[in-house]
Amino acid sequence: MSEGIRVASLDDVEEGEGIAISKEVTGTEDDIAILRDEAGFCWALNDTCTHETASLADGWVEDGDVECPLHASKFNLKTGEVDGLPATQDTVAHRVEVRDGEIYLFPNEKPV
Amino acid sequence: MVASIVIVGGGIAGVSTAAALRSGGYDGDLTLVDAGEFPYDRPPLSKDYLAGKQELAALALQPAEWYDDQEIRLANRTTVAALRPAEAGVELSDGTVLPADRVVLATGAHAARPPIPGATSDRVHVLRTAEDADGLRKALLPGARLLVVGGGLIGAEAASTALGLGCEVTLVDPLTPPLAAAVGEETATWLHDLHAERGISVLTAGVDAFEETAGGIAARLNSEHAPRDFDAVLLGVGMRAETTLAEAAGLEVTGGIVVDAGQTTSNPAVLAVGDPTRRRVDGVLQRPAEHWEAAQHDGTRAAATILGTPQPEPTAAWFWTDRHGLHVEGVGRMADAGHTVVRGTPGDGPFSVFAIDDGRVVGAVAVDDTKAVRASRRMIDGRLAVDLDDLADSGTDLRKLLRAAKG
Repeated sequence: MSEGIRVASLDDVEEGEGIAISKEVTGTEDDIAILRDEAGFCWALNDTCTHETASLADGWVEDGDVECPLHASKFNLKTGEVDGLPATQDTVAHRVEVRDGEIYLFPNEKPV
Repeated sequence: MVASIVIVGGGIAGVSTAAALRSGGYDGDLTLVDAGEFPYDRPPLSKDYLAGKQELAALALQPAEWYDDQEIRLANRTTVAALRPAEAGVELSDGTVLPADRVVLATGAHAARPPIPGATSDRVHVLRTAEDADGLRKALLPGARLLVVGGGLIGAEAASTALGLGCEVTLVDPLTPPLAAAVGEETATWLHDLHAERGISVLTAGVDAFEETAGGIAARLNSEHAPRDFDAVLLGVGMRAETTLAEAAGLEVTGGIVVDAGQTTSNPAVLAVGDPTRRRVDGVLQRPAEHWEAAQHDGTRAAATILGTPQPEPTAAWFWTDRHGLHVEGVGRMADAGHTVVRGTPGDGPFSVFAIDDGRVVGAVAVDDTKAVRASRRMIDGRLAVDLDDLADSGTDLRKLLRAAKG
């Protein structure tokens, strides 16, 4: 298993916020949003909302979901499943690990 | 025990009701009757769909397999002829009678066509359905002269889309500025002025009459003597609740199907959700909400009523609109506020305006700043007091401000 890609320091992402990591870094089909929940845990989803073009990294993270900044579709942080319309298509969740204050992303690996 | 439910209408309210019933544990018979090929989402009809950037299939409210997965019988291309609550049934237009212990009316509304002489011309469009959008789009050729009557949400969105397609657009509304009640006077003015800045001819006028001409349609405005020539007209002047079935079934209808806080009509076996409804709270009929999320929430409430589960917590009303490349959102109430606080500078990037009453946020409207609206909604719902200077400072992180207010 790979060591993952170091994409940011934990200090770069405030609780309840997200940052987008370019697909040039992640090597994935879409940019990946690193989203940090209110408890401080990090999660990763494909960045582009499956409904219309909007960055989930700019979304509102709360109660286990990220809410799209455009039309408030909700996606489960852990699974990428749609938790609220208008989106109907689930997004992709990726595995994230935090070691020594650094965030490591494992693109296309399912979260544990 | 409720063993069969028929939902009449497949807009966001009807589909949300079906989804909420299943997620709430209802495992009985569930039928969704819809006149169209499949239930689709309407907001894009004045935006990307009208612009030809989206196919109707992309607007499906749920993928086709969802109905099978959820064991929802989608009776598409079907209409309901009559409700028969006394017999616990619903009669379809082909004479079939479906058993229905509960009926949920999600019959939507029609685009209003006021009785202006000549308004029945084929060149006078309305915009409510995909068919309406298809018809209008055919008229939106580059250089076509389009008159948009009404500068509210639909009119402004369609005018912006038509401008983007290269049409020569004129927008008339008797009110200046339109939408003041929804977004507050100052933002309404800024938004309305944007039309002229982007190249739309904006007039403060009503329309007295339309007359078909050799190759177009003339509009007589009440502000001037000579008629103006156009190729097409769009009426964006509001909606009229679809209440035919409700009235025939003897339900109470007053400018909409009257429902209680749990979406139940005057007949306890019949509920109603979304645009055709008006809620009565403490004996007072409320204005219809007429927004996407309100319809969705109605569905959640109707399902809770049928299932006997707790109603969701009420939340401040929210809507969005897009025009001239800007994303606008509003939450709560902007009218009748004590005063307003502005964050950012209108015309210079994202900005938001907060309505303040008694030191608390009661409403907000934001241009390209959805976080301000999401934060405001939580302030409104939680009745949280925040420092108004911090609120106005665009350097303040509103999430942090919210967290501090929660304590």
